[in-house]
Amino acid sequence: MEYIYYPGCSLEASAKGYDQSFRFVFKELGLELVELEDWNCCGATYYMATKETVSLVISARNLALAEKYRGDLIAPCSSCYTILYKTNHILKNNPIMRAKVDQALKRDNLAYSLSLKIRHPLEVLVNDVGINTIASQARFRLDGVKMAQYYGCQIVRPDRGLDDKENPQMMDSLFEALGVENVYFPMKVRCCGGMLMTTYPDVGLELNKDILECAYENEADLIVTTCPLCQINVEAYQDKINKKFKSNFHIPVLFFTQALGLALGGTPKDLGLDRSLISFRLNKNSVEATR
Amino acid sequence: MNRKKQELKIPGALGKKERELRDLFLLQVSNIPGGESIKKCIQCGSCTGSCPVSYTMDITPREIIALFRAREIESILSSRTIWICASCYACTVRCPQGVQVTDIIYTLKRLALDKNIFPKRFPVYALSKSFVAITNRYGRSYEPGLILFYFLKTNPLKLMGMIPLFLRLISKGRIGFVPKKIKGTKTFSEILKEAEIMEMVVPVRE
Amino acid sequence: MKDNDIKIGVYICHCGTNIAGTVDVENVRDSVVDAPYVSISRDYKFMCSEPGQELITKDIRELGLNRVIVASCSPLMHELTFRKTCEKSNLNRYLFQMVNIREQCSWVHKEMKSATEKASALVYAAVCRVVHQKPLETVHVKINSNTLVVGGGISGIQAALEIGESGNKVYLVEKDSTIGGKMAKFDKTFPTLDCSACILTPKMVSVAQHENIELLSCSEIENVEGSIGNFTVKVRKKARYVTDKCTSCGDCVQVCPVEVPNPFEENKSQRSAIYKTFPQAIPNTYLIEKEDRPPCRETCPISQEAAGYVALVAQRRFEEAARLIRQQNPLPAVCGRVCYHPCESECNRQFVDESVAIKNLKRFVIDWEMRQKGRPRPPKIEKKRPEKIAIIGSGPSGLACAHDLALQGYKPVIHERLPVAGGMLAVGIPEYRLPKKLLNYEIDYIKKMGVTIKTGLALGKEFTIEDLFKQGYKAIYIATGAHKSLKMKIPGEEKFKGVYHGVDYLRNINLGKSQPVGERVAIIGGGNTAIDASRTALRCGAKEVTILYRRTRKEMPAEEYEIQAAEEEGVKIQYLVAPVEVLGKSGKIVGLRCIKMELGEPDSSGRRRPVPIEGSKHDLSFDTVIIAVSQAPEIDFIDRKALFELTKWNTLKVNQETLETNIEGVFAGGDVAWGPATVIAAMGDGKRAAEVIEKYLNGEPLKDFKTRRPKTLPKRDKDCRPHSYAPRFKDTPKKERAAMKERMPYTRRNDFEEVELGFFEEEAVREASRCLNCGICIECHECERVCEAKAIDHHMEDEIEEINVGQILIATGYNTLNSDSLVPYGYTEFENVYTSLEFERIVNSTGPTQGKIIMKDGKEPRAIGIVHCVGSRDINNHPYCSRVCCMYALKFAHLIQDRTNAEVFQFYIDMRSFGKGYEEFYSRILEEGVNVIRGKVAEVVKCGWSKQDEGALLIRCEDTLTKKYREIPVDMVVLCNAIEPQPDAEKIRRLFSISQSPDGFFLEKHPKLDPTATATDGIYIAGCCQGPKDIPDSVAQASSAAARILAHIAKGEVEVEPIQAYIDPELCAGCRLCNDLCPYRAISFIKEENISRVNEALCKGCGTCVASCPSSAATAKHFSDKQIFAEIEGILK
Repeated sequence: MEYIYYPGCSLEASAKGYDQSFRFVFKELGLELVELEDWNCCGATYYMATKETVSLVISARNLALAEKYRGDLIAPCSSCYTILYKTNHILKNNPIMRAKVDQALKRDNLAYSLSLKIRHPLEVLVNDVGINTIASQARFRLDGVKMAQYYGCQIVRPDRGLDDKENPQMMDSLFEALGVENVYFPMKVRCCGGMLMTTYPDVGLELNKDILECAYENEADLIVTTCPLCQINVEAYQDKINKKFKSNFHIPVLFFTQALGLALGGTPKDLGLDRSLISFRLNKNSVEATR
Repeated sequence: MNRKKQELKIPGALGKKERELRDLFLLQVSNIPGGESIKKCIQCGSCTGSCPVSYTMDITPREIIALFRAREIESILSSRTIWICASCYACTVRCPQGVQVTDIIYTLKRLALDKNIFPKRFPVYALSKSFVAITNRYGRSYEPGLILFYFLKTNPLKLMGMIPLFLRLISKGRIGFVPKKIKGTKTFSEILKEAEIMEMVVPVRE
Repeated sequence: MKDNDIKIGVYICHCGTNIAGTVDVENVRDSVVDAPYVSISRDYKFMCSEPGQELITKDIRELGLNRVIVASCSPLMHELTFRKTCEKSNLNRYLFQMVNIREQCSWVHKEMKSATEKASALVYAAVCRVVHQKPLETVHVKINSNTLVVGGGISGIQAALEIGESGNKVYLVEKDSTIGGKMAKFDKTFPTLDCSACILTPKMVSVAQHENIELLSCSEIENVEGSIGNFTVKVRKKARYVTDKCTSCGDCVQVCPVEVPNPFEENKSQRSAIYKTFPQAIPNTYLIEKEDRPPCRETCPISQEAAGYVALVAQRRFEEAARLIRQQNPLPAVCGRVCYHPCESECNRQFVDESVAIKNLKRFVIDWEMRQKGRPRPPKIEKKRPEKIAIIGSGPSGLACAHDLALQGYKPVIHERLPVAGGMLAVGIPEYRLPKKLLNYEIDYIKKMGVTIKTGLALGKEFTIEDLFKQGYKAIYIATGAHKSLKMKIPGEEKFKGVYHGVDYLRNINLGKSQPVGERVAIIGGGNTAIDASRTALRCGAKEVTILYRRTRKEMPAEEYEIQAAEEEGVKIQYLVAPVEVLGKSGKIVGLRCIKMELGEPDSSGRRRPVPIEGSKHDLSFDTVIIAVSQAPEIDFIDRKALFELTKWNTLKVNQETLETNIEGVFAGGDVAWGPATVIAAMGDGKRAAEVIEKYLNGEPLKDFKTRRPKTLPKRDKDCRPHSYAPRFKDTPKKERAAMKERMPYTRRNDFEEVELGFFEEEAVREASRCLNCGICIECHECERVCEAKAIDHHMEDEIEEINVGQILIATGYNTLNSDSLVPYGYTEFENVYTSLEFERIVNSTGPTQGKIIMKDGKEPRAIGIVHCVGSRDINNHPYCSRVCCMYALKFAHLIQDRTNAEVFQFYIDMRSFGKGYEEFYSRILEEGVNVIRGKVAEVVKCGWSKQDEGALLIRCEDTLTKKYREIPVDMVVLCNAIEPQPDAEKIRRLFSISQSPDGFFLEKHPKLDPTATATDGIYIAGCCQGPKDIPDSVAQASSAAARILAHIAKGEVEVEPIQAYIDPELCAGCRLCNDLCPYRAISFIKEENISRVNEALCKGCGTCVASCPSSAATAKHFSDKQIFAEIEGILK
């Protein structure tokens, strides 16, 4: 079985590193990956907020396209994942909506027959490949590296029965198996504020300050996340936050596939680590951020 | 005020506008899987307690449902609360009655846009609009364009503050200079047109 | 009665508008007017009313109706009413049929048309059915006046007392060790705030004292049979290991070395393995908690209570430890040094890190005893037995046997071939491992018990079995061991000087005969004997000692630590090499011709068989060779005249269990029976022999008598636990095993001084503390020792008691929601978050903090948050309201304000203070200045981020009345976690064949009109097992149940529907199929007539036989095939 890869807009741009490392990890683990041809924007949260049918239609277009392949649809971006999942869910449960969407898709001779499964790479790695297998294939162990596992909100919520919605474990156990020391991180499913960073910056900055502070207090070397929006909010705004709160945060924020890629023997270039705004050095048993 | 008076005359009566909003709202809610559970809200406030941003809202998530019951949807729509929601679903998963709070807030956002009822000093709408504009044009989103579009519409000065970050992102190759397009932009807009029409179709409720 | 005489009256009820509202009653009435046999069809506003019934009686009188149909409400409501009406005018009640056109028609249909059609169809069906109905006589069942009450909580106690008071017998079965249930844990009770214990314990005491109440504590229901009037119930009474002699003095607790979490204190404090749940417990006796016995004991051939003395060592109670060891073990100093300790190989600790050093601890204890107390005094032996017993061989087996027999009062005589006593212990094990001095101490100890040892007497030489019997010995135990070295049978083995054989060599050394060795010594073999020989040779001046072994180290039978010791001393080992010839010149050895080996297929012993490699012969030069390949019993010594049966391994043939040989009165054990084995195994046989001989001399039959042998233990892994309170092995903190100190190799290799030096006190205590005390009670028998009432019996076993009762009350109570599942409330994360029951104990003056409300660090909290509705009113857990939380939360608030200066915050959704005096209590608490905040708590987090920091807890919620999001700092949080059904509710439900409502609580017969009965006649429910309840309601329900039960008892009998099965003797083929199928064993086979017959008293009318009967001889009365088919056809018309 192959996996159909839906990159989503941010993995083409601000989260290029996610795209590179994701492809690398899947290749290393021998998973077949095909990019969905001519995919379009998932409709993301703000589209959802303007026109329901339209947003459903444009994300349904992706589903319709994906159905031409054989396999599950994988969306690494938490927000794409949520939207596509939700669309699928609504179309399954709401015949009226489905009728409207079909009508629109007809214009491009497209149709969606509800056969798809929408999945997130983290869950695929843990459930389809298995933590033990991954650990056994790791070329390097990340012994002693202190990580804050930041899941963000939309991967565990709304509850899809993937993992504990209050205290998810997937990433923790995955990296624990690689020797990582997971720090105490009660903020693991706290919200990064998403677009608030742009629309209500004060609120956004405060939320991210809390997340960084928590990681700092618990002496994390790295924050690891599954979501482009989380990644950019937590990483890119550290300067602004430092300025606003007189703090001194300087901590790398990696996509979980980048961290995993390192263990699987990827070079910083393979994994797009050269793109991170906060560069760092990976010493034996520790990670130190460099300025 | 006189709306109230008139309501007082006829037991159970609703103002014309409220009635309209209410119908639209309930229709949209009925589209949410599990949406009907809004009726079961016990006003416990765990949504507010779970919300990371409720401290800056003008009305709490719980109040939204209270106000809906109090037949004051209009005042919900003009609140900044629904626009502050970052849709992290914390409220939804903790609700003891299974109320789909986040999705309900989505429907309220739509309703507000649809009816042009906004809070004072309101930026988010612009963001959505710019987002929509870009996606419609290219089939995909283009972050820098999005931000540019947004600040030009709201507060161009703020744009200055963004420049350093932009430069760094560019240097790291995390911003493309040209927006990516999908191949079928033409058929894509075809679909969109049809979708717009569908948006208008309101099925009759039995 | 012929068919054409049948006259049916049909009556359609309007039930006001309940029916007439949606069913066109006139239409229904007319629809059956012309139906066959219908003489009259009427409708009326209320058939159940007097005039309504009058209609029926009148028609029966005037029209001579002999069938009546009423179409109205559910039979549950009025079937009985109309049946009585018919009976009043002498119409058998079973000729009446009721049709439900309300619940099943008018109430569930909207349209009149369809409702009317359905109603007509149902009525017509009844018309068709009633034709075939036959008059039946109701059956009366006697009520057994005994009653079973399941559950000893407040409900159970209340009911039991009330029934008992009426002079009827009650069995009160309680799973726990005491009655009192949850109420016994509470401190105060709302709203009156009177002390829970003060009002509960008097009732508990009167239960204990009541002559009509039989209390079965520690008991559970195994099986229930029968039905109302006579139930047969099997009860498992779990062993308490403490008899009724217990005076509850509590001395045992002082000496018990075990500590486990105390469930009664919600695991907030520790208790010992022998305990009483709380001071006023009823029954007022202690009990011992045992799970599977510790593996060390189970696997030990002499069932030494290793865990027992280890626990005592951990408490520095060395004297007690020594006493315990000596109880089982006559040779402790020996075992402490040379035992191969099967206990350690089975020790559970190895699943955490390494097994406990049990052997070394034993040695420490005995060394300590010798140092502190000098040589031990043997026990005084009261018993005296005249019979003479001979034991042949003074090795471990013989000595153990003699010791145990001496304890029984015998004066056994040991015959020893060698000049010294002790067998292999004396002549097989070198001095440096087991100092002779110690061995002799132990032998003296045994002698002092009245055992005689005659040395220099060899069986077959100086005496024979016959002689012994002639000398008047009544029983003989042969334990002559395996002292014969086996030859390798290679050329030159016998030819040259300087070739020795393992055991012979060691024997001679030990007996002080000179055994000169040269400079280059070869030892052949890989067993302990080989190792001993090599190390001995070193000590005798050999320059270079080499062990030649034909397999690899992995297969070496010798103990790893001894191999290492040998290597440290300079012994070399060559693997995969075997000698094929001893080379010599002029009568003296010059070396060995050897061949290289490789490992082939596994052999019978599971070890891979070595195979020679072709053309790998090579010569090695040696001047001495000691062949220690194996040893065997010296059967040739044993007198042939006695004609012993032998095994194919040339050992004595004995009965596995009883150790009997083929000769009456002669028993044998140890190596002579099984071939070379271990000291402890030999001792085990000795003790078993003593046991058997005792029986034999008492003239008891030995046939299928079982002696105790080591158990093979079930597989265990890292996920198991030593006992149910302990963490899994993998979660148990690791602790290093204490290493045994030894003398320096280069000094010790020169003399025969003991090599191992033993433990220091501190080491021993630390090592002992690694024990996981498996199975809770580790059987140190300390309690037994101090108990003056002699009330302790470690050998007690569960009993099954069968009781017969007429009715049963189930009052099994509730469980509280496991707060671990509620992540956001941080119960597992923060130590100052408590559940309600935990807090009840905290505030209770007899609780873990003596009622002081303090945090883990002992400080008084500055503020406490009480969280309502934790898991209640929550679709993610329990949708229902737990009903008592609001009130006890208020009670907590009061107690906190009363005893501390802490601010109290109540977080509620809706304050539910229903019930008498509750609202007043609420306002009283408000007056006391408690902060009440309306809002469900969303989450409890730490102020500050890191887990370590001492920061207070933060409660996040919305204050819904001020419409504000609030974060409130507190030091302590109390969770009012939901009440839920007992975990075993499902099991109970099946046992008593009652039902559960969706929420899992037991289902009452009617929520309003019959809340204490169940759908099963004669079985009642009371208290929280039926749904969340406070104490007053539980007691009320219990009393009402008692009243219901007493009503039946007073009446003495109950009517039951005569809807049993009937087997037509004409049709029955006597196939007996139904006999076994009947779940109530109501069908018996009558041989004479070759038919099966139904016993009406037992039959429940389930219809199993009817369905299964091949010749359709079995029919169910009132539900015959005819009637049912007619009804179906009627509906389909």
